[in-house]
Amino acid sequence: MCISISDTRYHDVWIVVPAFNEASVIGDVISDVHSVFHHVVCVDDGSRDDTGDVALRAGAHVVRHPVNLGQGAAIQTGVEYARSRRGAAVFATFDADGQHRVKDVIRMIDRLAGEDVDLVIGTRFADPGVVSRTPFVKRLVLRSAAALSRRSRRLGLTDAHNGLRVFNKTVADQLNLSMSGMSHADEFISLALENHWRVTEEPVEILYTEYSMSKGQPLLNGVNIIFDGWLRGRMSR
Amino acid sequence: MNWIQALLIVSVLALLVYLLRSRRSARSRAWVKVGYVLFVIAGIYAILRPNDTTVVANWLGVARGADLMEYVLIIAFVFTTLSAYMRFKDLELKYARLARAVALQTARVPEDR
Repeated sequence: MCISISDTRYHDVWIVVPAFNEASVIGDVISDVHSVFHHVVCVDDGSRDDTGDVALRAGAHVVRHPVNLGQGAAIQTGVEYARSRRGAAVFATFDADGQHRVKDVIRMIDRLAGEDVDLVIGTRFADPGVVSRTPFVKRLVLRSAAALSRRSRRLGLTDAHNGLRVFNKTVADQLNLSMSGMSHADEFISLALENHWRVTEEPVEILYTEYSMSKGQPLLNGVNIIFDGWLRGRMSR
Repeated sequence: MNWIQALLIVSVLALLVYLLRSRRSARSRAWVKVGYVLFVIAGIYAILRPNDTTVVANWLGVARGADLMEYVLIIAFVFTTLSAYMRFKDLELKYARLARAVALQTARVPEDR
């Protein structure tokens, strides 16, 4: 890394890393993020291994769910922790399995600072070179999900299910994810529409390692996500 | 009176006693109780005079009273299942918030290096 920890440009940035049973990789991921960003919070989502201890040693703040709740709940917890910290102004969600790149986050933060937007979502479908590296079936499903989702279309998004997001304090303060599981990506988009957040996309690269592929959500989970989206409007909040 | 009629009436009355004894928020449960009393009256009537349900069924274009009962049962079952599901989701959200509060209270901060 060419940027050192003494760099104070990113002292108002908090990186939220939700993690469930990631002890084998979380150390490297946190160290990598921590080499650029001073403030990292790892939400240990009730892991049965020592994910939390490893993350703490690697330099992250650790909040631990006493029980496993799901990624959406973990992100909400992480953001609530981060937004209560003094000086926090920029927030990012970053997956714990090592599929995201820190330099993509830096670019997204620069865009958030330079443009008139509240939320920058990563997309793996903007650059043709990146597209070719996404497994075919996954690409097909994710693209059709984006195309089918009325909300994503209205915001002109191509990849709403990307775990990499960068946003400002407005979004962090208003964020209220109620879907605990994997449906939070769609809920994020719904909240963006309801709260009139200005959203844009930034091309990012997803590193499909064998590990991240084995941890990835099965495509059949799309059925759950669609059903949860339909249900969401009918729940008390 | 058949044995089955006696058994059904006893079980319907047992349910009524159970429901009336349960105390939850008074106002909202009151209407449920009123509805249940009506249900018990209609139920006992239907048990004693099963042929009368056939008359009602015929008004609605259904051949037998037993068939009408089944249709009503299916709708009631679906309704109950859905409302239980919604209530469950609600509970899940409260549970998540509780776990979150615990998590935030027990946050661990890294040593500054």
